[in-house]
Amino acid sequence: MAGRTGRQSPAYDITPDEVLRFCDFLYRRTGMSFSEDKRYYIDRRLRDRIDATGSLSFQAYFSLLRADADHEIEQLINSFTVNETYFFREDHQLKCLTAGLLDSIVSRKPPGGTVRIWSIPCASGEEPYSIAIWLLENWPQVDSYNIEIVGSDIDTRALKAAAEGIYRDRALMRLSRDIISRYFIPISDDRYQIDEGLRNSIEFTRANLIDARDMATYRDFDLIFCRNVLIYFDDASRRQTAENLCDCLRPGGYICLGHSESMSRISPLFSVSRFPDAIVYQKPEADHG
Amino acid sequence: MPALAAALRREGVPRVREAIMTALIRVGDAASIEAILPYLRSQDAALRTAAVEALCALRESLAPFMPQLLSDGDSDVRLLATELTRNMDAAQATTLLCDLIEREPHPNVCGAAIDVLAEVGTPEALPSLERCAARFSASPFLPFAISAAIARISGVKG
Amino acid sequence: MADTARRAIHVLVVDDSSLVRLYYRAALDKAGFHVEQAINGIEAMEKVLSEPFDLVILDVNMPRMDGLTFIRSLRAGRGEVATVPALMISTEAGSQDVADARAAGANMYLIKPVAEDELVRHVGLLTGAIP
Repeated sequence: MAGRTGRQSPAYDITPDEVLRFCDFLYRRTGMSFSEDKRYYIDRRLRDRIDATGSLSFQAYFSLLRADADHEIEQLINSFTVNETYFFREDHQLKCLTAGLLDSIVSRKPPGGTVRIWSIPCASGEEPYSIAIWLLENWPQVDSYNIEIVGSDIDTRALKAAAEGIYRDRALMRLSRDIISRYFIPISDDRYQIDEGLRNSIEFTRANLIDARDMATYRDFDLIFCRNVLIYFDDASRRQTAENLCDCLRPGGYICLGHSESMSRISPLFSVSRFPDAIVYQKPEADHG
Repeated sequence: MPALAAALRREGVPRVREAIMTALIRVGDAASIEAILPYLRSQDAALRTAAVEALCALRESLAPFMPQLLSDGDSDVRLLATELTRNMDAAQATTLLCDLIEREPHPNVCGAAIDVLAEVGTPEALPSLERCAARFSASPFLPFAISAAIARISGVKG
Repeated sequence: MADTARRAIHVLVVDDSSLVRLYYRAALDKAGFHVEQAINGIEAMEKVLSEPFDLVILDVNMPRMDGLTFIRSLRAGRGEVATVPALMISTEAGSQDVADARAAGANMYLIKPVAEDELVRHVGLLTGAIP
């Protein structure tokens, strides 16, 4: 942000109606919506993107956005969302896990049955490890079931980092000192490694969400975390991915999306399920018309 | 292709219906479009909207079918067809929708076309929009919708 | 309870057309209703499960989940949301369309386009704002 203050005001104007046109598009495409009092926030980001793309007017930028030239939709979504990964990010979904969601899943299972949880894309592993730690800390029945957690990503370098489980202290900012001492080993001033037991308890694999053949090797999940990726896809890719994920779930299984994502822009295949801390989406128990 | 199209006709299970549509989109040729088009006339709202979505994904291959769809004898089909232009190139969509609103007698079909123009329309649409507003000045919704569309396209209140 | 300020009546407007949503919102805002919006049946379901509404106004043809499917799943649900009144406003004007909407569980069916005062009157009747 430094150095911005002296910036000359741009030579173009954005009228309130153009902002409405932009907001309607963003809402239809992503589901993100902003109230009137966020006008300033939208205006600033919109101007940033107009400048960054070298567009000389709102209209020029809007054409480029509609055509998704140079992945502008992705750039734009990034400018409206915080893309940070750290442990216990989106903790309302973790709370939801232990405040009803897992109970609903295991109510259909025999004692000692297997609960399969998938984090895709898992990037460098913060999410699957967070799920494991959260369950160990907060779910009284954690020892009564066989819990399998799989983390998958298309990027093999990210997977290697995930399997190593080494993180800077910044990624641990939401964890208490107690939790850090239980699950991490300090390896330098500002770096920590997940302890070996926890690292070995999670399976990391390579998978491409939109490749049906790739996805066919993954089946019988009870719960899938698929966050902050479908929002970037175009309609055709969303469609294919939703079908793939549906096939990877057991009947009655659930999907969690990112907090700025909504299944309403993605697929009709799942029903909306409300738990105290989050909205999740459920694959129907049995196919019916 | 005929086999897929026939399967679609019988299919009540959403997962299977979606998979058939996805397969047709992947092929994406004129024959796939012709297989989906009849469902724009379906009595089943779910099948109708699934067909619109599938066709929207086939924007390039769809262009040759648009003039005929937008002048279909059934106003419900014309109305659904306006949505198919939303993902098209702005100039192409503007031409198709302006041709429509210049002659369309049904206010709801015009309303649907204007909703798409408000998002994708170029300034070339402004004269047609003004004429449409004059033609439907007594209708409850269209003057409101057209003035909003003009404001969005021109950046200035209509 | 009776003396506390009266909560505005909450109306959820569900239509895939941004201009239709804007039109309903403008009319209902002016008449003192609190309006939220959704673009299709799935988003409508997310909203009604997240906060209480006094009425849902909805279209039939919408992408990913149409209005009839939405009302059927709403009525099949548990708790208070299953009984939220639903006003369908559609371009589909056939008698079969009206019968389908009634069978799905709609409380009233209007054919587009609807004038502002007519909309406000029906919303008033269905929410009890007009006794």
